[in-house]
Amino acid sequence: MNRTNNKIAILLLASFFAGAVHALAQDSTKQELVVNLGYYMTNNKMMYLMVNTKTKIDKKFKPVPNTVVTIYLDSVAATNLVAKVTTDVNGVAKAILPPGLKDSWDASPDHKFLGITAAGKAFDETEVETAVTKSKMAIDTSSDGETRSITATVYALKGAEWVPAADVEMKLGISRLGGILPAGDDPTYTTDSTGSVTVELKKDSLPGDEKGNLILMAKVEENEVYGNLQIDKVVPWGVAVKKEDSFFSQRTLWSTRFRTPFWLLFMAYFIVIGVWGTIIYLVFQLIKIKKLSKEPALE
Amino acid sequence: MEKSTSLTAEQITQDLLPQKFGRRGMIWTGILIVFCIIGMYAYYRQLRYGLVVTNMRDYVSWGIYISNFVFFVAISLVGSLITAIFRLANVKWATPLTRIAEIIAVSAIVFASLIIIVDMGRPERFLNLVTHGRIQSPIMWDVIVITTYFCISLLLLYMPLLPDLKIMLRFKEKSGKLLNKLYRFQGSFWKGSAAQFKISDRAITILCVVIIPVAFSIHTVTSWLFATTYRPGWDSTNFGAYFISGAFLVGAGGVVVAMYVFRKFYKLEKYITELHFDKMGKIVVMLSLLYLYFNINEYMVPAFKMKKSEAVHLTDLFTGEFALMFWFAIIVGLIIPIMVLLFKKGRKPLPMFVIGVMVVVGAWFKRYLIVTPTLLNPFLPMQEVPESYHHYFPSWEEWAIAIGSLAGALLVITFFARIYPIIPIHETITEQNEQDEQ
Repeated sequence: MNRTNNKIAILLLASFFAGAVHALAQDSTKQELVVNLGYYMTNNKMMYLMVNTKTKIDKKFKPVPNTVVTIYLDSVAATNLVAKVTTDVNGVAKAILPPGLKDSWDASPDHKFLGITAAGKAFDETEVETAVTKSKMAIDTSSDGETRSITATVYALKGAEWVPAADVEMKLGISRLGGILPAGDDPTYTTDSTGSVTVELKKDSLPGDEKGNLILMAKVEENEVYGNLQIDKVVPWGVAVKKEDSFFSQRTLWSTRFRTPFWLLFMAYFIVIGVWGTIIYLVFQLIKIKKLSKEPALE
Repeated sequence: MEKSTSLTAEQITQDLLPQKFGRRGMIWTGILIVFCIIGMYAYYRQLRYGLVVTNMRDYVSWGIYISNFVFFVAISLVGSLITAIFRLANVKWATPLTRIAEIIAVSAIVFASLIIIVDMGRPERFLNLVTHGRIQSPIMWDVIVITTYFCISLLLLYMPLLPDLKIMLRFKEKSGKLLNKLYRFQGSFWKGSAAQFKISDRAITILCVVIIPVAFSIHTVTSWLFATTYRPGWDSTNFGAYFISGAFLVGAGGVVVAMYVFRKFYKLEKYITELHFDKMGKIVVMLSLLYLYFNINEYMVPAFKMKKSEAVHLTDLFTGEFALMFWFAIIVGLIIPIMVLLFKKGRKPLPMFVIGVMVVVGAWFKRYLIVTPTLLNPFLPMQEVPESYHHYFPSWEEWAIAIGSLAGALLVITFFARIYPIIPIHETITEQNEQDEQ
């Protein structure tokens, strides 16, 4: 009897575990949604948040579009709602701090942003938190005739005062189409105890705009305390480059219909007018034949 | 010529007047109309659902429609060969064939224009070609020359028809009310006066002179649609001459088929004689040899070098996916016609008809081979696309529209032969009189 009871107990236990494993297996079909919430500040003025949603498929991160992310300032409360955004096809969305939260934002130098996604068919509920200390950047230049230097400084807000922020890594250089061209030999620089980085611009004769202006740029990326900061300054250190648009203004076979080569226009019009002139002439001949209908027939 | 024995003007007129459809004519016309209706339904589906109903995709964007277009443009060239070149060269034996050639040219060029519009996903934007067209684009040249060629061909069909319209107006009872109205509208002003003949003859000569360069242009420009594109199989300086020679061949083949059909069913043995078949046979064999020569140039020279990109394309044609069609087009459409037509017995009406059909069918597939395989072998490898993009086989809608257009062209010829004399009556009588005088 005992043996029978034991067997039943084992079977029940086994079926319980099987059910639990099955339930777990069902849960595990949901993939992990990775949500990044980044704080951005450009030229100490424009502050915004960027949300990025992605998931790992076949060991590769793929963007998750159409994900609704609710962002709060400091705590989850309706009064602290920053924005409710939906990610685009690239899994990216942008949010700005509404004017209604200005007082809350000004009240403290340190804040945190909370991003929350609701549970869905594919993913569980996700919550992400990004802490930020208010900061600002400055960029300055100096030149002694022979050497040109760029100084970038990062300040952090402590209480009511701006203090230099040390050990902040940044890119410093010239803004080009593909990114920032480093001013010196190193790709990145770290601020010293004064919160500054000074780099000698070693690149001469860089092509600038039509007036010879270059855009100097300092950029802090994904800093754990300050987020993403960027500042730029226009300096007349480049070589003036005249816009080369003669290529497009030429009369070529590949240009627009308003810039057809003259030889082609001449040939086309010559042929078209020649042939269609003949056709029109022949139509007039037909009209002439019609007018001659009153003349007597040959037969 | 058999007709030179003892035919009076009245006999010639009676023989050549358009005849009502018999039972076979009705069945033939009915079949063509059914094909046209199916084609129109398929086109309705294409308009309704878009080009997705075709099997053309990212790579093969020019499929059976463009092959058909090239075929129609090619066959239309026969108008300039038989009508213009022979007339200017004073080739008298070709007189009974001129109208057949000219109506083939007109109907083919009409359907070439239509099939191009069918190929457009948004046909209502056709006018954009005029409002936004670039004269640098060969497509623009094609639109211009096709329109021009159509107008000249129509004039060349109409002007020699004027004396015949006058003759037909004499047979009001035979023609019926409706046709008489049409004849009167088109040619009641033709009295056959010396002054009218003088203007008409001069106008026809001018048309014959003008149509030759225009005809060469339409097919050269059509070849340039391909040759100005940098792709394996199309990147060729040989294309203009290659297309023209092929066009004359398919046109001549088409005329041979039409000659046989009209001769047999309209009982025109006295007018389209074995001599005509013999002469046309010699022309077809000459054109086949010429086209073969250009084919050798077109395929052998790149095959000798076997540049990597060309090699894939050529291997596809010679031994790959398109080998069966390629060798069919070459052997059936070129080699066998040459071999058969070199012998006098091969130039008899029936063998000529069979060869004519082989030439036309071979030519249609040849156009398909010019258009499609190249698109399946782009310079950049086809990556991360559905498997179906690597192959192309037309959908039923494409087949229906293509066959419908071919049926439409044949229907135009059929109705033309029902309404107008397919052999010029007046010219035949004049030539007969000249022969009698001699």
